[in-house]
Amino acid sequence: MRRSLPVALVAFIGILLLLDFVLINPTLAAVADVLLELTVLVAAGAALAGAVALVLRHWTDLVERRGDPPGSVVLLAGLGLMVIAGFYPGSAGAGDPAVRWLVAAFLAPLIAALFALLFIFVLRALRRGVELRPRQMAVMLTAAGIMLVLLLPIGGAPGEWLAGAAGWALAVPIGSVFRGLLIGIAVATAISAARILLSLDGSDD
Amino acid sequence: MTEDRTPDPPASEESELPVEEPEEIAPAEPRAPGSSVGGGWLLVLVLLAVAVVADRVSGGSLLPRPEPNDQSVSTAFRALAPGALVLVAVDADLGTYPEIRPAVRAALSDLLGQGAGLAFVSVSVEGRAIAVAELQRLRASGVSGERLLDLGYVAGAEAALVRLTTSALPGDVEGPMASAVAAAGGGIGAFDLALLVGGTDVGPRTWVEQVGTRLPELKMVAIAPTFARPELEPYLRSGQLTALLATVNDDAAYAGTVDADTAPADRPAGGAALLAGILIALLVVVRWLLTALPRLRTGQAPAPELDEG
Repeated sequence: MRRSLPVALVAFIGILLLLDFVLINPTLAAVADVLLELTVLVAAGAALAGAVALVLRHWTDLVERRGDPPGSVVLLAGLGLMVIAGFYPGSAGAGDPAVRWLVAAFLAPLIAALFALLFIFVLRALRRGVELRPRQMAVMLTAAGIMLVLLLPIGGAPGEWLAGAAGWALAVPIGSVFRGLLIGIAVATAISAARILLSLDGSDD
Repeated sequence: MTEDRTPDPPASEESELPVEEPEEIAPAEPRAPGSSVGGGWLLVLVLLAVAVVADRVSGGSLLPRPEPNDQSVSTAFRALAPGALVLVAVDADLGTYPEIRPAVRAALSDLLGQGAGLAFVSVSVEGRAIAVAELQRLRASGVSGERLLDLGYVAGAEAALVRLTTSALPGDVEGPMASAVAAAGGGIGAFDLALLVGGTDVGPRTWVEQVGTRLPELKMVAIAPTFARPELEPYLRSGQLTALLATVNDDAAYAGTVDADTAPADRPAGGAALLAGILIALLVVVRWLLTALPRLRTGQAPAPELDEG
């Protein structure tokens, strides 16, 4: 049974963090803290690498005149603007007022406006769904219709009854399906991880 | 319900299973010039705009607000001592945040009205954008900077949450709140309560799993979109979440109990706009359901329609 170095490393770190979770030991806690710092750094590094790759990709697209040049220009200009706001001489970095303004007054409303279109797009998608899969869509639309009625934000006795029914529906039938899914996903993930760690599927070498 | 988009394997002659004939989907007809937005959708937008404006003009009192069934959020906030430190963990996403925004803003107003200091932190990128926007809004509405603390964004999701339990203060923050947090250990344990604003990626469940198990004494109040309610309900019943707002109805009911004068620049939306949106969605759902039903009987596809709304 062959084991690769990454697998051994993952197993060692996983067990160490698990021990830190269940045992109170200052040395173990210190080692776990260092590992967590490394994890945070790796995650931040991955985000940075992603940003650099994005810039390179769109810059190459622009230079070679392929893809969507206007989109690439907008992306690079927006990224450049944010970088300048965070790195100009004397800037306070991510907490700089210029960065805050760009995010609060420009980026957040812009993305929120795009997401607001979901209301329209989802309703339009229903029509296409009815054309393609009428049986499945009929079931889905019925369930959606019932939940929409239950979630109507109205006052008075009808509102109280609807809220109670919505709470029951979310906690009992939908909740049980949801929990079943979560448990199933957790078990499948654990089995998959164990197979990889034990080299049972031979995918690590 | 899953859709199998892979082509069906060829049926053998011995096969007794009925093979469903592939459905012929007629291509959509080209749209007439100038018809990119149908009259129906224009009507929908106008109705929504009218509802929003009517809500604003009436101060949110156009329709009676739902009565709160559960006072646990208000009770948790009222239990805080003046000057309490509250951690606001903003990990909502921009797609679902509009649903919970009125409740979040009402909660922030409520907490400020109780005299609490608010420290914002995010472990998701979109959550950070929302946190920055909310901090900006609070500062613009005149909330003292001494009652707000920006703990920033920490990369690493779950790993970041675990690290925050022992070290939540960035190196460059200062002020009375930062000093109070540092004096109490510098980690999340320094806070009296955590208000968890959840989204699709990181939410209250992750906080309960990563932080709640390490700091079981920390009270956690969650505000999340409706879809998250089924997964959060067990944590609420087990007491790991002190209180939860996770339906539009609960949000509207809670927002109605908060004194709007605390943050007059941004009153929570009234019920009329929400009601109009849900009713429109309901009408469209019923309409397409009625379209689907004849197909179930005849087994024929309805003719694709031009963009009619």
